[in-house]
Amino acid sequence: MRPTPVRRRLGVAALIVATLAIALLAALRLDTARLTANTDSVALRIGVVLVLVFLVLLITRYVVLLWLGYLHHIEARREIPVSTFAPPLTIIVPAFDEAEVIEAALQSLLELDYPEYEILVVDDGSTDATCEIASRAEGRRGSVEVRVVRQANRGKAAALNTGLAMARHDFVVCVDGDSRLEPDALTAAMRHFADPHVGAVAGNVKVVNRNNLWTRLQALEYIEGLNLARRAQGLLRVVNIIPGPVGIFRRDALARVGGYATDTFAEDADVTLELMTAGWHIVYEDRAVAWTEAPERLVELIKQRYRWTRGILQALRKRGSWLTTPARGRIVWVSLCAMLFEATCWPVVSVLGNTVFVIAALEAGAASGIFYWWLLLMMLDVAAALHTVAMEGEDLRLVPYAIPYRFVFIVFIDVAKLFATVEELARVRMTWGKLARAGRL
Amino acid sequence: MSLDVLLSTILLVSFLVTIVLAILSYVAYKLRESRRTGDGAAHQATPALFERVLDVDEPEAASRESPRAR
Repeated sequence: MRPTPVRRRLGVAALIVATLAIALLAALRLDTARLTANTDSVALRIGVVLVLVFLVLLITRYVVLLWLGYLHHIEARREIPVSTFAPPLTIIVPAFDEAEVIEAALQSLLELDYPEYEILVVDDGSTDATCEIASRAEGRRGSVEVRVVRQANRGKAAALNTGLAMARHDFVVCVDGDSRLEPDALTAAMRHFADPHVGAVAGNVKVVNRNNLWTRLQALEYIEGLNLARRAQGLLRVVNIIPGPVGIFRRDALARVGGYATDTFAEDADVTLELMTAGWHIVYEDRAVAWTEAPERLVELIKQRYRWTRGILQALRKRGSWLTTPARGRIVWVSLCAMLFEATCWPVVSVLGNTVFVIAALEAGAASGIFYWWLLLMMLDVAAALHTVAMEGEDLRLVPYAIPYRFVFIVFIDVAKLFATVEELARVRMTWGKLARAGRL
Repeated sequence: MSLDVLLSTILLVSFLVTIVLAILSYVAYKLRESRRTGDGAAHQATPALFERVLDVDEPEAASRESPRAR
């Protein structure tokens, strides 16, 4: 029997309560006092304090994000879902060597449920058949016009700027060449622009290729980590990264901040910070869904996260003065600080917190504490996964992946982030690093 | 050996192995990138990313382009 929405909600709520109860029991059994009582070592005592700081930060972070995210969810569902605000817009598709996926991406864009729009493909000097495949779709199809322009390879930001310059409408949608939009994505997102303070809308990115452990873990991460943070920021209208696969902008706002900068490796984070600090409100729309291909191999995943981390740090470094003086408003300042913390401090705290705990437990002869520590964190992750997966109406089969999430997946991600941070501080030269596409759109 | 000690030992070993694998994966990524950069250098002398947009052969575009892009 298929569960009704009410039964499903009750079931999820019961599971969340149960997992939190187990987490509480694990915390009680952990007995950190025993760790410190068994030794006079100052280093060990410091280690236990570090672990407690990590735990407090982790729980606070989860509680704040989950609470704000839930408020956003309620607010979004209270609003009128259908809007009459639907001005014509331009969809910019920067593409470099996307032959595997560009056809499916364009097909999804042609099937959007939106009155009037144009699709502008900017081929950034592809070396494969991307341009030829895209050109097949060129021309007018009903109320949709498809244009394809080609430029020498100058990077994604430059391709987006070319698209921005050639766009014919006052609103632009920037998507990746490997993204597929849901038919109602634009209708859902555009209603926010009825408010003249809104400069951009961040969409909801989901992983399409859930075909192995890594991509399923990423699917969960997008829901439990990235989208939850965006949802929480959206409530305060300070989303600090508009994702590359789907971002909707007021073209005038983008032009006023000078378009996309080409001097960072995270042009999406950079332009978002520029808009945010220029005073524009940036909101999140969870119904503006874009499906994207996640890296299927570990090395590709590390490459992606390495680039994201360095790009974010480059974007933040350009705005160092804004971090020291909260002249642009407290919420913006808090958002910037949170971004810096997530990119630099959190991976250190996370890796060190776990490592120090293991060492402390072994030193104090309380090795069994490791199990309860793992159980505590795992249960927190499972509870958060249940909550966020249910909130998004996502596949509940993703929830068990919360079990290896922190002690396997996050370790890989955090180690990559740590190295990326060190290399960015040392200004080690880097290249873009095009991700391999599997053509699963 | 009690069950929680056994589980803790398994977790400890798994955790250490994961950390080592994570570092090795990063090293593998760096090695692959350095090889790729070396190969690419022969075809491309300058990095493509850090260039300003100059759409000189697109008059309409140039006239409407953003200040930074110019």
